[in-house]
Amino acid sequence: MVPTAGLSFKPVHFEEALASPAAGLWFEVHAENYMVAGGPRLAMLEALRREKPLSLHGVGLSLAGAADPDSGHLAALKALCGRFQPFLVSEHLAWSRSGGIAFPDLLPFPRTSEALRRVARNIDLAQTALGRQILIENPSLYLALEGHEWSETDFLAELVRRTGCRLLVDVNNVFVSARNLGFPAEAYVDALPVDAIGEIHLAGHRPDPVHGAALLIDSHDAPVSDEVWDLYARLLARLGRMPAPTLVERDGDVPAFETLMAERNRAASLMRHGGRVPAYA
Amino acid sequence: MPELAAFQEAFAEALLAPEPDGRLARARGFAVYRNTCAHGVVEALRAAYPTVDCLLGEEGFTAAALAFRDAQPPASPVLSDYGAGFPGFLARQPWTSELPYLADVATLDRLALEALAAADRAPVLSPATFRPLALALHPATRFAWLETPAVTIWLAHRSPGGFDDLEPEWRPEGALLTRLAGGVALQPIGRAEHRLLAAVAAGASLATLGTALPAESDLPILIARLIACGAVFPV
Repeated sequence: MVPTAGLSFKPVHFEEALASPAAGLWFEVHAENYMVAGGPRLAMLEALRREKPLSLHGVGLSLAGAADPDSGHLAALKALCGRFQPFLVSEHLAWSRSGGIAFPDLLPFPRTSEALRRVARNIDLAQTALGRQILIENPSLYLALEGHEWSETDFLAELVRRTGCRLLVDVNNVFVSARNLGFPAEAYVDALPVDAIGEIHLAGHRPDPVHGAALLIDSHDAPVSDEVWDLYARLLARLGRMPAPTLVERDGDVPAFETLMAERNRAASLMRHGGRVPAYA
Repeated sequence: MPELAAFQEAFAEALLAPEPDGRLARARGFAVYRNTCAHGVVEALRAAYPTVDCLLGEEGFTAAALAFRDAQPPASPVLSDYGAGFPGFLARQPWTSELPYLADVATLDRLALEALAAADRAPVLSPATFRPLALALHPATRFAWLETPAVTIWLAHRSPGGFDDLEPEWRPEGALLTRLAGGVALQPIGRAEHRLLAAVAAGASLATLGTALPAESDLPILIARLIACGAVFPV
């Protein structure tokens, strides 16, 4: 089965996820949630993996950190890869560790040439330790930092060139960052190195409770917005006949499985038609 | 120091500072990172300590969790395992003197979490000629002897409406947590069972287990009960 459009796996949807007959359906989990010795959580993922393709999405490697990735964390990720044989493994262009403290967030940094060398080294260390290629995701940004020497798309393209990694393009993150930092999202999508895109994420966002629509939060607790669907179609048009597996992410206010499947099916339909809405839909 | 490292050090400091100042902290958007970091830690602790959350209420728990984060921030991105020091931290806070059972209840929450995530043990069927020499704990087995009626309080808070008018008798209680059929069960135990479990954990042979127990104990019945609930198995 070729994985097409997938969903974040939610344990509350276990039975329905397992039984769904949808062609090309796959699931993604946060790797850190399964870094346990045993028990029902791993048993559930094993049962799911027997039926569906699985992608492991890491949030804790801190690849844009100033230090090497933690060897214990890499070993735990490698063990999960060995056990679950994911078809994709991904991480973020962000840091989350400093001075021995782990921050449960994906933090920004000035995209300098020094940072580029560091991130490339860290991706290289991770890919070597895991013995496989990983995908790097563009983060959602909230701060206009000073000192950037590279645009994000050029930075990502250069990481691909230097390390042989591929890209996970989170279209919602592009939209959120564009709004928050004031750049055109379409131009970002047009500047991405399409040949390197191995996965796409779609998710919902919300306006900040204080600043409103001037500050969008990548909250993953709402349906994918119309603007993000449009941006996704634009990216698919660039990808042409080779659309990348696409994930609809949902972490908060999780609705019924059918509701998530409706969004997932919309993505699958767009994938089949190169981003164009079919006339009969 | 390389620029990236210096940037991250300053950023991390501002994330944790009680009242951050400087250009970074004043920029719109910085609060999003600060809030996300605090929220992630607090909610991970809340998920790990549901009974403490229930006893303190949402606001009280959030304040306690933030104070704990400042004292012992997470060292690993695997947040499901964060907070092993929370029961001890609670015990040392002056305000918990009014809730003397709180730290013990937190200990039970933590043991339940550990039991849920502990390693699996494949069931081994013994041949008929098998003569066990000792007992071993299942990897998910946890037990404790607590100086407060925390077991009664914990069990009451885990059953709907169970803590209305709860007035437990003030005495020490023992707890045994086991993982069966995908879930964790907590049962009260007496001193004899607790001593037996401690002896098993210390690696005592079957022949010497009896010496750990009070004189009136019925060793075969105690062992049979612990095997039946999956806490121990013969080796």
